[in-house]
Amino acid sequence: MKILAVDDDPIILELLAHFIDTLTDHKVVLASCADEAIDVIQANARSPFDCFLLDIQMPGTDGITLAGKIRAMEPYTDTPILMLTAMSEKVYIDAAFTAGATDYVTKPFEMSELKARLSLVERAFDRRKASTGKIFATQAVSPEYNKVTPPINLHEPVAIYDVDNLIDFMALENYIQQLSRNDLFGSTAFAFTIRKIEEFHRTMSPFEFYSVLVDMGEIISDTLGGSQFLMAYAGNGTFICITESGWCPDTRALANSINLTAAKTELFDNQGQRIEPRVCAGEAIKLIWKTSASVMDAISAAHASAESASAAYQKNQNNVWQIGLTA
Amino acid sequence: MIHQKLELPGIERIRTRFLELLRERQVSIAEHALTAWESDELEKINGSLASARTLLHQIAGTAGSLGFEELGQEARTVETEIDDHLNGADADLAICPGALIYHMSDFVQLCQTLTAAQPETAQSA
Repeated sequence: MKILAVDDDPIILELLAHFIDTLTDHKVVLASCADEAIDVIQANARSPFDCFLLDIQMPGTDGITLAGKIRAMEPYTDTPILMLTAMSEKVYIDAAFTAGATDYVTKPFEMSELKARLSLVERAFDRRKASTGKIFATQAVSPEYNKVTPPINLHEPVAIYDVDNLIDFMALENYIQQLSRNDLFGSTAFAFTIRKIEEFHRTMSPFEFYSVLVDMGEIISDTLGGSQFLMAYAGNGTFICITESGWCPDTRALANSINLTAAKTELFDNQGQRIEPRVCAGEAIKLIWKTSASVMDAISAAHASAESASAAYQKNQNNVWQIGLTA
Repeated sequence: MIHQKLELPGIERIRTRFLELLRERQVSIAEHALTAWESDELEKINGSLASARTLLHQIAGTAGSLGFEELGQEARTVETEIDDHLNGADADLAICPGALIYHMSDFVQLCQTLTAAQPETAQSA
């Protein structure tokens, strides 16, 4: 990978350069502030970077703002961004992930930990490059773009951009794993699944399907807008949300709000036919007192709960229809 | 004081560079502490503390990775104390808590002990 490391401390830059040169096959370019980083990125436009290592607290533009600026650049919408910082407070972690960070390493870092993190990033980067490629969220898309949207695997996470508080699924997993037990106090996980997602996937073009995910992601994000949360699309029509501050949401009421907004939003497929995606909500699961491993189990449980609710809804609909026939 | 298990090939060069920089940083921290202690202007006091805090933050971020764990932890402690003061109820008063100055002084002494054990290179001398 070609990596850009940005930190105002020359010792950190020396350490990173030495570590990467000595222990990995990656190539690293160094910058001592955000402005220099932007210049370096522009100077390397023909040979873009594959990964960024950003310090959070720097004079002038900080690393969180820089992460947002990098994410806004077309070649870097899904390039891994690792935050390297001594600031382990949750408020900075949240801000970093919301701005587009993929993962987070606390300084002073252990070389073995940094190596492991880079390996994870590299594997994810390779997987992504080999599978779906880049999909850009945009409301006004040209017909040419429509033709090149790559196939989307129903069961795999898809990166969705430009939706507030919606981050990459891998970043959400990293975010949860970085939270300490104290940080988890008052956090709750829940999920929404788009009903009949298999049907949408089967009958729609990849672009149409992706547009449904973006639209529903926006509606869910807007509905949760008044609270502090992060969410990600986990695949199979399911959006997983993490909220905090002791708020344990009434997920069914939220699902009703989401569906009401979806009903008021006129959505059409490429043939001009109106489509009506609706969601089912799973149970809200509190993360308090859970260990790192069981937190991930709780996330899986929230995911499964929403999908079960969707399946149960569909089954009830079928039963009603059958009862109607009998009657 | 130095973490014995840290053995990345060639790390000694960076450790030496860190100690060279620590000589300059400890002087700056001492100067900022003195200015904050002797001044009766709010902006000068808080500005000096903020400048010292930036240096402590940088030391805390790298010292542990280079084997100077105690130094890193002390830097983090003093950094947090400055943060607490600058974000606390007395932040808008032209005072610098005496305890903070003592802790900054202790930190500077710790730096001096470490750098004294390391011979100065021709470049830094």
